Amino acid sequence: MLRRGRLRRLNCLESPQSRSDYAYLGLGVGLRTVHFDYLLRHTPAVDWFEIISENFMDSEGRPRYVLDQIAERYPVVMHGVSLSIGSTAPLNFKYLRKLKTLADAVNARWVSDHVCWTGVAGRNTHDLLPIPMNEESLRHVVRRIQIVQDVLERRIVLENPSSYVTFAASTMPEWEFLSRMADDADCGLLLDINNVYVSSVNHGFHAETYIRSLPHHRIAQFHLAGHTNCGTHLIDTHDGPVIDPVWKLFQTAYKLTQNVSTLLEWDARVPEFPILHAEVLKSQRYIAGVCDGEANKTSETPKASYTHGDDVKLATTPHPAVFVAAEVE
Amino acid sequence: MTTQESPFDELDALQLWMQTVITHPAGVKAGVASKNANQIFDMREAEIERVIQPSETLSAIQRLEIYSNAYFARLSSCLLDEFPAFAYAVGDTAFQAFASEYLQTFPSNSYTLSALGRSFPSFLRATRPADLSFESLGPTWADFLIELATVERVYSEVFDGPGIEHERVADPQDFASLSVVQWLGARLTPAPCLRLVQLSYPVHEYITDVRRGRNPQTPAPSKTYLVITRRNYLVRRSAVGESEFGLLTALANGLTVGDGVAYVAQQNQSDIDALEFELSQWFRNWAEAGYFRQIVLAS
Ligand SMILES: [Fe+2]
Repeated sequence: MLRRGRLRRLNCLESPQSRSDYAYLGLGVGLRTVHFDYLLRHTPAVDWFEIISENFMDSEGRPRYVLDQIAERYPVVMHGVSLSIGSTAPLNFKYLRKLKTLADAVNARWVSDHVCWTGVAGRNTHDLLPIPMNEESLRHVVRRIQIVQDVLERRIVLENPSSYVTFAASTMPEWEFLSRMADDADCGLLLDINNVYVSSVNHGFHAETYIRSLPHHRIAQFHLAGHTNCGTHLIDTHDGPVIDPVWKLFQTAYKLTQNVSTLLEWDARVPEFPILHAEVLKSQRYIAGVCDGEANKTSETPKASYTHGDDVKLATTPHPAVFVAAEVE
Repeated sequence: MTTQESPFDELDALQLWMQTVITHPAGVKAGVASKNANQIFDMREAEIERVIQPSETLSAIQRLEIYSNAYFARLSSCLLDEFPAFAYAVGDTAFQAFASEYLQTFPSNSYTLSALGRSFPSFLRATRPADLSFESLGPTWADFLIELATVERVYSEVFDGPGIEHERVADPQDFASLSVVQWLGARLTPAPCLRLVQLSYPVHEYITDVRRGRNPQTPAPSKTYLVITRRNYLVRRSAVGESEFGLLTALANGLTVGDGVAYVAQQNQSDIDALEFELSQWFRNWAEAGYFRQIVLAS
């Protein structure tokens, strides 16, 4: 089968290849409602899908029906946006139980969310808000991860979000925080390469140092995505192709980890499915570069830089929320 | 910063302060200066670097503004996705104002965005302008807008709520196989996705036009009886006559077929015989549309 064939090709170093504790799923894409019809009709040779957990955990309609079809045919990973692991508000156990039920039902290979908080005082901003990187917040997050892992009865995987502020209260670099968090809580990491790049520009740190400093065996997955260059800062908009420097970082990360499942996120101005799929397949070139020790020619990669223009409002909403709109006959 | 002893309280305060600031409707500067923010961190804008550091290119305020802009843009774009016809009717500027006002009154308190628009129709009803002097003239623009939002929200709930795709529903044979006596004493269990909405404008057509990219004009008021359900995971809607709607409502409320028919006949001041032809047509249509999950016979 095509899917198997590509997986084998990507496993280009002799085993034991992967330094990750997690299964290698190949090259996947985010499952989005606009592609539902295409996926059911064509069953494209995608290695795996990632879903936004909250869009399916309560669904008794078409989203859930389509997910069940997808889960029968492809490996599925659950990616949440409302766990709010860094919040000082109490954990929502009803939410956690629903997360577990869905994870069991679709045989989720792992369940991920973000190192962030989304709200306090009973509110959800539906944003991935940053936490100060210090000892207190580290202890707080680790304790909550342990509770969540107990409820879900599995290790969770947490992603580095893009961020736009730094706190005076921070006392350590983000990579140190993530590394200690993952080791202390015994959880996995979802390394979003684009977010590392975006935050490195916004905060002036060295992206490669960040990637080199992480415990690579804990990295379950990579995210790739496009972002928007606003001149004074970058915003993680998920609205276009991956840019060259991000591909380069991806190659560095892949070299360090080997065979870590890789996923492309595209949430605004979402293209037709074949274009989306082709974008994640570009990683083969960079992975091949890792295996062959070849330098990659990246000049063909389209730039995803937008400056203030007509649709700048749309273009500059970070990681746009994926709302599932009703389909009416 | 704060003088609390526990560092956890500090994280607590920092988060409450940041949320207060970035969700302030008048923007970050007003948020920092607000009473609520000052109760958490008693400081002026000039002291903000005690909490948020500037970057080489942006001030602390500008950095927070990225989150503040995103908060309103993200959530109003979700409302736009859920209420496209309402948004089209009021236009961009007014829609942004409605969305901003709504988000202040009903900020999200759920892990899921599908709950965000839940209170939008009731928010519009509660804040509709008083037009008492025109009430006698019939439905108004405000009614039109409220009805648009109401039906668009019903579509969302029907689309993702419980359905009948995996169930056997009462089919035309089930209806045909009953004796008249059985039939009159029977009650019908509505499908969980069945919704009956009475309107003063044909908003369903307007909504469909907007969703299909057409540019509809505001329709004239016209009493509309809308039946909304879901088949094969798609929301279906159809407008029916007043009598048919009356009977569907009576049955959905648990009346027996006999009592429901008598009720409708009384409402129409017509006799049951006059309804007979229509009744058989209605039941056939309902069975085909899957409005009822089962027929419960009187014991
Ligand atoms: Fe990501």
